Amino acid sequence: MTIAWSSFAIVVVSALVAAGLLVTLFSLALRLGSGVSTAHRVGSIALYVLCGLVVVYGIYLIVPALHG
Amino acid sequence: MDITLIVALVILLALFFDFTNGFHDTANAMATPIATGALKPKVAVALAAILNLVGAFLSTEVAKTISGGLIREGDGGIQITPVLVLAGLIGAIVWNLFTWLLGLPSSSSHALFGGLIGAVIVGAGIGAIDGGVLVSKILIPAVLAPLTAGLISFIATKIAYAITRKQERDGFKRGQIFTSSLVSLAHGTNDAQKTMGVITLTLIAAGLQDVDSGPQFWVIVACALAIAIGTYSGGWRIIKTLGRDITDVEPAQGFAAEAATTATILASSHLGFALSTTQVASGSVIGTGVGRKGASVRWRTAGRIALGWLITIPAAGAVGAVAAFIAGWGFWGIVIDVVLAVAAILFIFLRSRRNQIDHRNFHQPEPGAFVRPKRRKKAGKR
Repeated sequence: MTIAWSSFAIVVVSALVAAGLLVTLFSLALRLGSGVSTAHRVGSIALYVLCGLVVVYGIYLIVPALHG
Repeated sequence: MDITLIVALVILLALFFDFTNGFHDTANAMATPIATGALKPKVAVALAAILNLVGAFLSTEVAKTISGGLIREGDGGIQITPVLVLAGLIGAIVWNLFTWLLGLPSSSSHALFGGLIGAVIVGAGIGAIDGGVLVSKILIPAVLAPLTAGLISFIATKIAYAITRKQERDGFKRGQIFTSSLVSLAHGTNDAQKTMGVITLTLIAAGLQDVDSGPQFWVIVACALAIAIGTYSGGWRIIKTLGRDITDVEPAQGFAAEAATTATILASSHLGFALSTTQVASGSVIGTGVGRKGASVRWRTAGRIALGWLITIPAAGAVGAVAAFIAGWGFWGIVIDVVLAVAAILFIFLRSRRNQIDHRNFHQPEPGAFVRPKRRKKAGKR
């Protein structure tokens, strides 16, 4: 019986980083989106785009045909 | 009994298991968006069904063994017969329906493994089960999955509440649609595969298909449809448990929990440490309940769920073992098995009608009712 603790640790760390990143990006996008200045608005949209990229990366990981 | 008849029975039961797998697991992706009102209940299950259908076609990699080394099959081990698969499926289906009746989010994969283990122990002896694999691939991950997801979800919730102000948090609903969709898609690519594997294995064992060949196209279509229809019929009891009974979920929490679920599942399936989707999703909901100030987690409900996980494998195994024992009597044994299985399914279905729970049980607040000012044009129409 062997438990792959090292791969478990990698799973925890990468999942934590990914989830933390997505939540941070989306939260900041919401925060900036409620601002009035153009800079805030643009920043907010840019952050939404980054969130979209994270989701696209998720789809890439889910579909085996994409990453062979 | 004619071998093709047994194969036909196995295929029917496998597809029915696939159906129960679908409605058992709708909650993993859709419990929180339904709870927060990000998606209307019917829309949520329809979206999940479509994504499961698509997901089933996306993946062409089929696990060579359905049991992942748990049962010593092949050279030097035992040959798992269609009759044993039949008994295992009966165990898995009965346990899946029973936990659904109780509204417990238990793992469908564990029910399948449990049923097969029970059947194989009766049919081929305890030596056919690899105990080390059982502990390292199922028992330890079952403890780690909810802890990992809970921790990540807890931190994600803290981040979300630290950054956003109260009036902005309704926007998380839009994000929830995307994160829950990812969970659904991932589910479709994984879970329909298991049933395809069972059917393909049976066809190969019966000599109706070449060894080492993948699932035939009609098997893929049938499994995809079965899991999609199951998902659409929605396991409302389990959705209620996960979305309502553990803790009250706000949009920011729903987003954080699903981000944690998605990240954990994708990381686990790509970095080689398999975790159960159901256990990850449940852990995330508990984690986000602990993470929000003022939210309380109903630990009694969480305890019931954990108990359900503990007994899933032995319970499905016990049913599978009894079914395998009866099937050992020959033709009439298999007939008795099937009759008993149908009777159990009907009994659970009728019992569930006493306190029906469906999409009407999910009253949702009007989206954004407290945040956005009402638009005058639409106000007249409503």
